[in-house]
Amino acid sequence: MNITDFFALGSACFGILMLGSVNLRLNLFLYSLQTLFMALATINQSFKQVNIEMYFICIFIIALKALFIPYFLNNVLNKIDIQYDSNVMIPTAIGMHISILFLGISQLLSDKIIQSMPSIDSIGGVTAAISLLFTGILFMLLRKIAISQIIGFLTLENGIFIFGVSITKGLPLIVDLGVLLDLLVAIMIAGLFVFRIKSSFEHIDVTQLNELHEN
Amino acid sequence: MPSLIAIFIIPTLIILINLLLSKLKWTGLKLSAILIWVELISVLIILKPVFMENSIHYYHGFLIDKIGAYFIILTSLITAVCITHSYFFFIQESKNNPKISFTQIQTFYILAILFFISMLLVFMCDNLGYLWINIELTTLLSAGLVYFYRSKHALEATWKYFIICSVGIAFALLGTILIYASSKTFSIEGTLNISELIEQAPFLNFNFFKFGFIFCLLGYGTKAGIFPLHSWLPDAHSEAPAPASALLSACLLNCALFALLRIYSIGELIRHCDFMQHLLIGVGCLTIFAASLFLIHQHGLKRLWAYSSIENVGLMLVAIGIGSPILFFLQALNHALAKTSLFLLSGNIIQITNSKELKDIRGLIKFSPSLSILLILSSLAITGTPPFGSFISEILLLTKLLSFNFMLPAIIIIVALTICFIAVFVHVGRITLGQPKQNWIKLNNFQFNLMPSLLISISLYLGFIINSDYFRGMY
Repeated sequence: MNITDFFALGSACFGILMLGSVNLRLNLFLYSLQTLFMALATINQSFKQVNIEMYFICIFIIALKALFIPYFLNNVLNKIDIQYDSNVMIPTAIGMHISILFLGISQLLSDKIIQSMPSIDSIGGVTAAISLLFTGILFMLLRKIAISQIIGFLTLENGIFIFGVSITKGLPLIVDLGVLLDLLVAIMIAGLFVFRIKSSFEHIDVTQLNELHEN
Repeated sequence: MPSLIAIFIIPTLIILINLLLSKLKWTGLKLSAILIWVELISVLIILKPVFMENSIHYYHGFLIDKIGAYFIILTSLITAVCITHSYFFFIQESKNNPKISFTQIQTFYILAILFFISMLLVFMCDNLGYLWINIELTTLLSAGLVYFYRSKHALEATWKYFIICSVGIAFALLGTILIYASSKTFSIEGTLNISELIEQAPFLNFNFFKFGFIFCLLGYGTKAGIFPLHSWLPDAHSEAPAPASALLSACLLNCALFALLRIYSIGELIRHCDFMQHLLIGVGCLTIFAASLFLIHQHGLKRLWAYSSIENVGLMLVAIGIGSPILFFLQALNHALAKTSLFLLSGNIIQITNSKELKDIRGLIKFSPSLSILLILSSLAITGTPPFGSFISEILLLTKLLSFNFMLPAIIIIVALTICFIAVFVHVGRITLGQPKQNWIKLNNFQFNLMPSLLISISLYLGFIINSDYFRGMY
């Protein structure tokens, strides 16, 4: 196992650990670590190819996604005064085991992908990417609180980024920066909406937002 | 090149007027309404060379071809109509509901113009990455439009819209990455540039492109409101103020479909492209059919038109699937004209009756004959009745479909369109006939019917000028 794979799979593991906790601050911290490891895997990969553009992207990712976004969401949590997402759909331990199962499935899928494209050298990266995708979706499905939905979405986005890095050596610089900027604005807007939901509904359980429906 | 930037000068001016000269109050909004028509004229002048030379490259990654130019003009027209109508709409709205502050209305104007700019950019992109960024930008900017009323329902609709579309668009990014990976077979660099991808289409890695296409269909389809992923659409359209619903329905849906058109224009050049064509036509038919069933049991006035938009999205998907961009544009044009008119009229009806529920609205023809006649004419236009333009585009679509031997989709579309026609007219009949309530508010007919009647006359005019000779060799 090379170092890139180590960091990428480490990031996937933090994603899985996120499912095991209902403490929102711990989830944010794990998300931050997951993003950091993802950035380290990317730096390590671009080190081999001497890809200077990727260094810029990684610096931005560490500054914005690993530090600023968790800090911002932590502030939101302080203001709305919520600590735990106590109302999960299925017990956390089972959720974690499902995502470990998905890690195995990701390994199989990434094997298939590698076969159709021999130029990919990092099987760990592809595995981690698909696993993070699954974890993000699972997180959004199992959790009910608006903040958890945002964390799940961010995990999904991390999965997509690492997928891009492992199979294409990263998108062009300007596209990556645009995506990052869009994501940042999206999270800030989502944070604002969390405030609004808290102040008008007095909870942030999105499954209870069900007044608009057919008939 | 300077001309491309010139398109954005007037919108920037409008934003600055609303931002800096906020003391002008309603005069500022009036000024915006006049300037946006100047913008439409300037767009027509700037895009004139495009029609002479087929397509023009601007900067690296930006290109306007004929179909893009058509859509830019359509978007400018609809935005001009909506911004002008919002002036009258918000004057009445602030009378009806004193809680609405003027800052709120100004924010609406600023966001609407920013949203307009981001939609124009979508039609200029020649790069899948830029395309993705701009479509995500439209989501971010239009969320503020949906949240205009600051009520619980508006909040719920906005949250659903925001989260569902963001996740959907994230899948489109995955699809974009897969398409990028598929281009890595012929050059080490890889490319996201659409014109380069079209040139290199035979050399793309088919497997990667296939999955990329599926993810893009899933992602951009969520934004366009294709059948199983449409749940945000009726909520957002019915909770937004009427001009915003019109913009979302008539312009935003086109943006997402335009992205699919761009991706399919690469896909159809790949040898085994049948599968993508079948997927597009299949999903399109499913969407049309499901939407027509949803139309039968409706309780909200604007929800009704939202489902009718979903039905039209299905028709446009089929048009993309048969590889005919011009038919896609025709359908989008006719849909946009009629649907904008319907949403604006519905806004007026909601202001008159102070209710969004269909069951509360009865006897409109006795209360306001001009409004009801316009509503009936617009409903005729949206359901594809002759002599309106949408009839021509739907009949062209069906003949084209049959000429490719797609028998089953054609039958499904005809059945679904019939159901739509009946469902819409049962509801419209109930709205117009019967006995009106006493406590309704009288509106100024001329102001409120100005823009809808303009749109309906354009739609009627199109019905007479478009014929198959007109588009010979183009579709």
